Amino acid sequence: MQNFYEYLLMASVAVPLLCGCVLAIFPLSTKASRLTALIGFIIPAMAALFLWEAFDKALYTDSGFAFLTSSIFSGDLLPLFGLNGLSLPMFVLAGIVGLAAGLWALAQKNIESFRMYAGLMLIMSGGLMGAFASVNTLWMYMFHEFALVPTFIAMCVWGGQGRRTAAMEMAVYLTLGALAALVGLIMLFINSGSFNLIDMMQSYAAMPPSEAVQDFIFPFLLFGLGTLVSLFPFHSWAPRTYAAAPTSFAMLHAGVLKKFGLYMLLQVALPLLPLAAKNWAGVLAALALCNVVVMGLVTMAQRDVKMMVSYSSVSHMGICFLGIASMSVLGAGGAVLMMFGHGLSVALLFMLSNALVNRLNQWNMQWMGGVYSKMPVLACFFVAAILATIGLPGFVNFWGELSVLVALWKFSPAVCAAGALGLIISAIYGLRAVAWIFMGKADRRLEAAQPVYTDLTWQERIPAILLVAALVFVGVFPDTITSGLDEVFGSVRAFAVNIK
Amino acid sequence: MAVLMNFMLFCPLFSAALILLFMRKRPLGAQVVSVASAAACLAALLYALFGAENGAVAPFSHGAQLFKLGDFAFDFGLMFDSLSANMIFVVCFVGFLIHIFSVGYMDHDDAKPRFFGGLSFFMFSMTGIVFSSNLLEMFVFWEFVGFSSYMLIAHYSANEDARAASKKAFITNRVGDFGFLLGIIWCWHSLGTVDFAEIKSLLAADPAKASTAMGLLVMCGFLGKSAQIPLQVWLTDAMAGPTPVSALIHAATMVAAGVFMMCRLGQIGFLTPGVLGTALVLCSLLAFLAGLWALGQTDIKKTLAYSTLAHLGLMGAAVGMGLFGIAMFHLTMHAFFKAGLFLVAGSVIHACSHEQDMFKLGGLFKKMPVTAVAALIFSLSIISVPYFAGFYSKDAILNCAFAENVSRGDVLSLAALVLIGGAAFLTPVYMGRFFFNIFLGSPQSGKASAAKESSAWMTLPLVVLAVFALGGAWGVAYGLKWSDGLMSGLLPSAATELISAAYAGKLEALKNVDGMHTFEMATLCMTLLALLISWGVYGRNKGVDPVAKRMPVLFGALKAHGWFDDIYDYYVGKIQQRFAALLSVLDLLLLHNVLVRGTAAVAAVFGEAVKRLHAARAYSYTRWIMVGIVVIFIILIA
Repeated sequence: MQNFYEYLLMASVAVPLLCGCVLAIFPLSTKASRLTALIGFIIPAMAALFLWEAFDKALYTDSGFAFLTSSIFSGDLLPLFGLNGLSLPMFVLAGIVGLAAGLWALAQKNIESFRMYAGLMLIMSGGLMGAFASVNTLWMYMFHEFALVPTFIAMCVWGGQGRRTAAMEMAVYLTLGALAALVGLIMLFINSGSFNLIDMMQSYAAMPPSEAVQDFIFPFLLFGLGTLVSLFPFHSWAPRTYAAAPTSFAMLHAGVLKKFGLYMLLQVALPLLPLAAKNWAGVLAALALCNVVVMGLVTMAQRDVKMMVSYSSVSHMGICFLGIASMSVLGAGGAVLMMFGHGLSVALLFMLSNALVNRLNQWNMQWMGGVYSKMPVLACFFVAAILATIGLPGFVNFWGELSVLVALWKFSPAVCAAGALGLIISAIYGLRAVAWIFMGKADRRLEAAQPVYTDLTWQERIPAILLVAALVFVGVFPDTITSGLDEVFGSVRAFAVNIK
Repeated sequence: MAVLMNFMLFCPLFSAALILLFMRKRPLGAQVVSVASAAACLAALLYALFGAENGAVAPFSHGAQLFKLGDFAFDFGLMFDSLSANMIFVVCFVGFLIHIFSVGYMDHDDAKPRFFGGLSFFMFSMTGIVFSSNLLEMFVFWEFVGFSSYMLIAHYSANEDARAASKKAFITNRVGDFGFLLGIIWCWHSLGTVDFAEIKSLLAADPAKASTAMGLLVMCGFLGKSAQIPLQVWLTDAMAGPTPVSALIHAATMVAAGVFMMCRLGQIGFLTPGVLGTALVLCSLLAFLAGLWALGQTDIKKTLAYSTLAHLGLMGAAVGMGLFGIAMFHLTMHAFFKAGLFLVAGSVIHACSHEQDMFKLGGLFKKMPVTAVAALIFSLSIISVPYFAGFYSKDAILNCAFAENVSRGDVLSLAALVLIGGAAFLTPVYMGRFFFNIFLGSPQSGKASAAKESSAWMTLPLVVLAVFALGGAWGVAYGLKWSDGLMSGLLPSAATELISAAYAGKLEALKNVDGMHTFEMATLCMTLLALLISWGVYGRNKGVDPVAKRMPVLFGALKAHGWFDDIYDYYVGKIQQRFAALLSVLDLLLLHNVLVRGTAAVAAVFGEAVKRLHAARAYSYTRWIMVGIVVIFIILIA
């Protein structure tokens, strides 16, 4: 069939959006709505895996993008889909985490108005698939907004404690961040006359803007997109948001949506504004170090398990930023590996910590204890997720941290050493959490909270297995991602030794 | 060879995966699979060692790229030479025996599958360290052994000690690995490779490329894994794990992996004199101190753990003197007698309903004759009584320290000699205390009186190890080759190639040192004297440590093991944690409340002000227009 992959790519965006709309509009029966939701979650994930498998250098066009839908329809303001070595792993990540979040939601019996919940999730997941599948920068942005809005609504309706304030704060932050990024995008557009990334690259390569112009545009993108990724000091929306967000949305947001800012920086800002990127690398490295070290220490002070996971995710974003700041193929590739690994592991952690808190009626880790003997399966998955986040080899995160640190040494050995402190810090809070929650004997304050010790059900284990399997698969075969990254970043001028 | 090595590496991994994923509720199956995989690895190893021509190891290496990004690549390689042959023999042989022992020791445990799965995973990781052909690959497996150690220390997870100890072990090792990783990264950038063979040829061409700072960073990995100052604090706590784990991981193999790595690096010329000197000072210091600290413990496993620290210190000191072969020699012999001693402790603990206080035991010689005789052999071996295995290796280190002092004559070598001599003097003291209190005298508790000899699962490995602790060094020391040269004494020749050559070379060199004969006699007398002192002080078990009773201050000082834990606890609790809490408050207060809320407040005030402007009153607009005109006028004039 001609253009099969292109249609598949479009379907992976359209199906969840469509299913989401169906769920939101039509008053389906419970069974029908669950089926619709399942279809909406499975198809993009399957399509993503299929496209990953099919993605090969043979399919590359001159622009580096495969599966371009321009042969089916085209127009400057119409969405244009396609995947390159950078967007592919993010697209796959969105598919997998989307499916896991969906399966988790389907496994829960007590979600009020499930139809709406699933509908919003599907719209969000469609937006995510679209954001990473778009080649048109305007549509990247639009799809991102598509994914962002459901989070606010879901938080206000299904959120936990302190959801109103958290939702408002997040709305203000992320809207401002996105707005700044949009201003940057428009300035990029003015210089090239197109939102199509391929055209933009060509026109910027042919006629690069002066260093002063680049230096002016870049901070809009850096700080705008940085806010979306909780770059220090624009991070304070993140912990409270994730602590209050409903499970599946926290998984999707922290796991996937948050990576969009980094993705845009790597996909759009760095290739188009190489000079500015180099000039701003020092500032970025300093802020990123604050993410790793300062936020890492703040994570150590947390007692609420969800807050601990949230802050740790802020801290790990610092590693990604450090990778970008190193301005090298290796560092940027490491950042992507880290994004991929962190997306999977943090989704798993949010899923499990929510399950834990809901079952134990207790959020303070110090007041737990002895949970391993009561819920061994949950404990094993939790430990696996913690080991992944602290960068144990065998999980993707290890390759990410390793690549970033190796790349940073060239940038500055001192920065590399400071960044490597993150290894110790994350081991401290991660293993301490495991020791507090799962080992020892149950604290009396846990008994007082009347916990319900039911281990993960089979339906709940499936998403956990899915996430762990993905972490380990890419952890053992990192080449499945890195070969494409090499291809993309090899041609980014910001990473060349001498670009002037 | 590649097939055999891959088999030895992945067979335990497969076993671990099989057990942990599918046999969580089948304890018997888990045991069978795990023991079978250990047996298969040992068989494959012996096949490989006996296949070597005349017992000489044919170096082998093989690599495949696993990861490539930009100009950085990671190779998964396998490497086999006389050093790896030596180490892998220790791992597979002692590992197999401890698997057998575990079947008996863990008979009443209700989490057997987790235990045996962990043991198999450990065998995989440890084999990986030995076969690694580059530093980064070694680091990967280094993390894996760290994880298996963590998982196995936490085996009794409901236990408070296990809870704290597992965490402490992992984090302390992480601190070491922090330096290790930075050293590796530095090495990659300065030498352009982390492959052992390539580093060797690079440094052979230009020794100046080896840097002391880089070597010291890499050495941090050794300090963490082999528990040397200042990272030694985790090992004694790690005794909270099951005893077979203490024997295999925390005595015979994993903690010795640090020494193995240093030997590997030393052989390729990576360690500069500065690094070696630092290792010598730190390790000989701990060898002496740990011997003292052992006297402050009443727990039998902790006593042995301090002894392990001391002996790792001796190995490290040998490395520090550049004697890599001798260090490996002592590592091998230590694996036999220390694993044996831990198994003795396990047998005793198992028989006495998990009583671990040596002053509550006593009189077990008659009740547990096999264990007791084995314990006697191990003890004689560790205190280096002539003709026992430990004598040859430990004396070689002592004599070399003496020769080093004679030839160099500086303060450093004198200090090292005194410390190493002190360590050798202390060994009989604490080992005598161990043996007399447990096996002689009369039982000091009901648990000890009810003791019975352990099952054959446990005594058989003890007997085998006792044979090796007695005669394990004869082949090396006297060159007893048999079976067409394939066997050298009790060990396969291929496994002892490195240490035999090193020992023979040292023997030759030491002959010409002035006063060596006198020194040897002196050390023998010293051992005897120490044993007598031990008998005098600790000979009779009266239910309480005599030093603790008569000199509580001294005992308290010994027990505090250098106050390292107190200092670290103070740092963690009073400085690090408070600093983290302060940052957390600042984050909340400054960034969240002042900046974010502040911005919101400014926006609100601004909004209010703008609202006031749009008051929809004609005279107010006119007034503002007037103000505007005046302002513009002023600006224009200025």
